[in-house]
Amino acid sequence: MPTEILNQDFENIPTEEEEKAQVKRAKRPIFIFAGIFGGLLVILLAAAIFLGLNQGKITTQVKPTPTPTPTPEFKEEIIAPSPYATDEAVLKMEEEVKKLDQELTSADLKESGLNPPVLEMKIKFEK
Amino acid sequence: MKKILSGFLILLSLSIIHYPLSIPLARAQEFNFSRAYNDYLFNYNQYRQSYSEYIAAREAYLSYQTLTSKTQALEKTLKMLKDEDEVIRNYLTALRMKVAETTGISNDEQNILYLKLDNEVTWYTQHKESLNSAATLEDLVASGKKIAEKYQTTEILIYQTLGTILSGKETNFRNQLSDKIQKLKGKIGEIRQKGDKDTSLSERWLLEAENRLTRSQEKQFAAQQILAKIKSSDTNKSKSYNQAQFALEESHQYLKEASSYLKEVLREIKSAN
Repeated sequence: MPTEILNQDFENIPTEEEEKAQVKRAKRPIFIFAGIFGGLLVILLAAAIFLGLNQGKITTQVKPTPTPTPTPEFKEEIIAPSPYATDEAVLKMEEEVKKLDQELTSADLKESGLNPPVLEMKIKFEK
Repeated sequence: MKKILSGFLILLSLSIIHYPLSIPLARAQEFNFSRAYNDYLFNYNQYRQSYSEYIAAREAYLSYQTLTSKTQALEKTLKMLKDEDEVIRNYLTALRMKVAETTGISNDEQNILYLKLDNEVTWYTQHKESLNSAATLEDLVASGKKIAEKYQTTEILIYQTLGTILSGKETNFRNQLSDKIQKLKGKIGEIRQKGDKDTSLSERWLLEAENRLTRSQEKQFAAQQILAKIKSSDTNKSKSYNQAQFALEESHQYLKEASSYLKEVLREIKSAN
């Protein structure tokens, strides 16, 4: 250990000024990176502002799209209604049955998305 | 300059930190079927990828027989087998969640299925862990055979669970229809007692609706019988499942008819004699 200290080159010990210059040199890439990044950000902001200002000038063309046409629902009219045609309980039941009927029609009885995965089970290392 | 630079860097780091903050919120969502199913699909894609890599490595090994190709083959086979365990495990978990979310399955049925599915999941988890101790290609081939044998019995459970899910749906619809029939019976009884309307036609429609429910139940039972008969030695288990599914479709058709009869009953109640 002491030999190491003796071997030290005292003539080349950097002065305070040299040290500062070294620190500055080390920081240079950070400044360059920050400068480039900042520059890019400014360019992007400028582009965004420019496009934003020009947006008002752009004439938007509204494409004609067909409006959804309601499908006619068949409603059987009762010509001679009974006293129960306006009964609250009957109307409520009618609504419930109609809802259930729709659920029955739209029910997914295949659940094909749940079919088991296709797996290759044969592993062999022979020709 | 330093202050500006540090301020700028703080702003930049804050904007970077802000993005990952939103991820834990999404992850905090509860674990349900939809999430389990997405996990399964993700793992399935991974498995397909690792399977094709295994095929390529296997071909290379069989052609060149070098140490490098052997090491590659070992590595890719191990990954593929691990992914296979994982995909089955995730699929079974998705099925478990579907069973939990399907109304119409009795608690007893649910508990039995949970127990069976959990046992299978445990097996595949342990098998995946055991793969780490495989040192040679022969070990991996033997491990692969083990999964293939196990999957024979797992497949039965898969099809029976799928059948139970579909049956559960049917039971739920039938229960709802039965409830509506009971309500209509009560209303018709009320009308009959008042005597201001003939109810015989409505009662006949109701009887027909009840008959359809019975037939639907019979078809559902037939489907369950088909599924219960699947054996591990059956080479085409999906064929039996398709037959059961067809029987359940017939069962559903009867439910649709019952529903249309209920509409007839209501139309009849609303019309004068």
